Amino acid sequence: MFLSSTEAIDRLVPEGTGLLAVGGMHMHNNPMELVRELVRRRRGFRRLLTSPSASLAADLLIGAGLVEEVATSYIGFEHLGLAPAYRRAAESGAINVLELCEAAIVHGLYAGAGGLPFTALPAGLELSDVSTANPEHFHTITDPFTRERVLVAASLRPDVALIHAHAADEGGTVYFAGAHFTDRLMAMAAKTVIVQVERMAEAGEFAAQPADSVLPGFLVTAVVVAPRGCLPTASHGAYGYDEPGLRAYLKLARTPEGFTEYVQVNGMAPAEVTA
Amino acid sequence: MSIAVKAEYSTGELMAAVMARHLRPGEVAIMGAVSALPQAACRLAQLTTAPGLWFIAGGSGAVNPHLDPLVASSCDERLLDADAVMTLPDVILVEGRGDLIDVFFAGGLQIDAHGNCNLGPVGPWRHPTLRGPGGVGLPFVSRAGRVVIYSMSHDRRTFVQRVDFVSGPGFPVGPGALPGGGPSLIVTPLCTMDFDPETHLARLATLHPGVTLDQVLESTGFAPIVPPKLETTPAPTPDQLAILRRLDPTGLLRGGA
Repeated sequence: MFLSSTEAIDRLVPEGTGLLAVGGMHMHNNPMELVRELVRRRRGFRRLLTSPSASLAADLLIGAGLVEEVATSYIGFEHLGLAPAYRRAAESGAINVLELCEAAIVHGLYAGAGGLPFTALPAGLELSDVSTANPEHFHTITDPFTRERVLVAASLRPDVALIHAHAADEGGTVYFAGAHFTDRLMAMAAKTVIVQVERMAEAGEFAAQPADSVLPGFLVTAVVVAPRGCLPTASHGAYGYDEPGLRAYLKLARTPEGFTEYVQVNGMAPAEVTA
Repeated sequence: MSIAVKAEYSTGELMAAVMARHLRPGEVAIMGAVSALPQAACRLAQLTTAPGLWFIAGGSGAVNPHLDPLVASSCDERLLDADAVMTLPDVILVEGRGDLIDVFFAGGLQIDAHGNCNLGPVGPWRHPTLRGPGGVGLPFVSRAGRVVIYSMSHDRRTFVQRVDFVSGPGFPVGPGALPGGGPSLIVTPLCTMDFDPETHLARLATLHPGVTLDQVLESTGFAPIVPPKLETTPAPTPDQLAILRRLDPTGLLRGGA
């Protein structure tokens, strides 16, 4: 249950994993310690599923060449700028982009969590080009009740989800401080769930938590305790995002050489794997 | 683009004041990423002309954040200092209802004459010349009561004849009906536009103080309808400015002006 980040990635994210989901939203609650471990170990996988709005975690995995395809509705850094590695990989065709929208992600994860074969989406969403650009994920069928045409999207069942929560108890139950975005849903839909936390919970701490901010331990495969492990992204309930740190990444990652430098300077060089 | 607005207020403050005047008491508004500007507009409206307005601040799920202070990221934990907080899946769920969201704030790397917004690929979809971040919830604008489009850039790269990719649907050119009310207002650093009710094409509404018609036309990649009489966008009042400066001590709305 309690593993180091190295053990967790080694045992639970085999090379060639099909669908890997990463939680957090924008530059908040990215499970960076787990992501850095994937980069350190050069652990490639087929498809990355992001939360509705991804940031550093996704950009780093894409820049490191670990991702064949990315299913996402946003990868960027809000007011700080566009995602440099994602831009480079998508513009050159090095990765395939499966364009989604937040409804396809969230309703798709509901379907995955609930065992539903697929999900139907509200009228009007078919007017966007998202469904046109990604025909393997969306279909238009006849609603058997109304006979109207309806857009449907695939259910999402990640093989592995990497998420961040605030604290864990000894049974692996975790709770979230602040906003928990789509992370609980992502965990409920995934087959294997690795949760990075700031610390162990104190006795009685869970009793005060509202029901919807807790993920019970039977839905958690492994917990990795990584204090300040979301940096340079924020960890709600613990610290804000490190804006100079994010800007330093954005500046370096503008070129492939700079990206490699960032990876080396931040302890993700492959040499560490064999050490 | 240098903006010919006089220095008593910034372009961001002028835009926030314009957007605030568009909101009505009791309405429900929603916004996404990079939304400090519409958040400030909504709070300003609550405190002036639209008491009882509700607004949901992006991915944070915060309902009526107090903006003490205004913050740059739409998922900042400080937004949770709010009247209420919804989980993000709940926000995305009820966005689908179609009878709940009166005003949806949208934006794009490209915005066209029908009010389509593109935050996805610019150029060919498979090998874009500029891979935008993605549209997140923009497909939902199709269901909102009305859509307010805002952009901090007004140039021919942003305002194009036809977007390369529709993230947020504007008025349909071909078949297909918009379930919601469609785009109603565009606010830029130069002007405001509304939409002609007959043709559903963007129509100039007001020029910001000091901005000329030629300047707008030269900076716009489509030909907006130009009405016979063009008003000047009203400057923020001293009261509006005082409120905005109280919400925004760090100058997020003054950074670009």
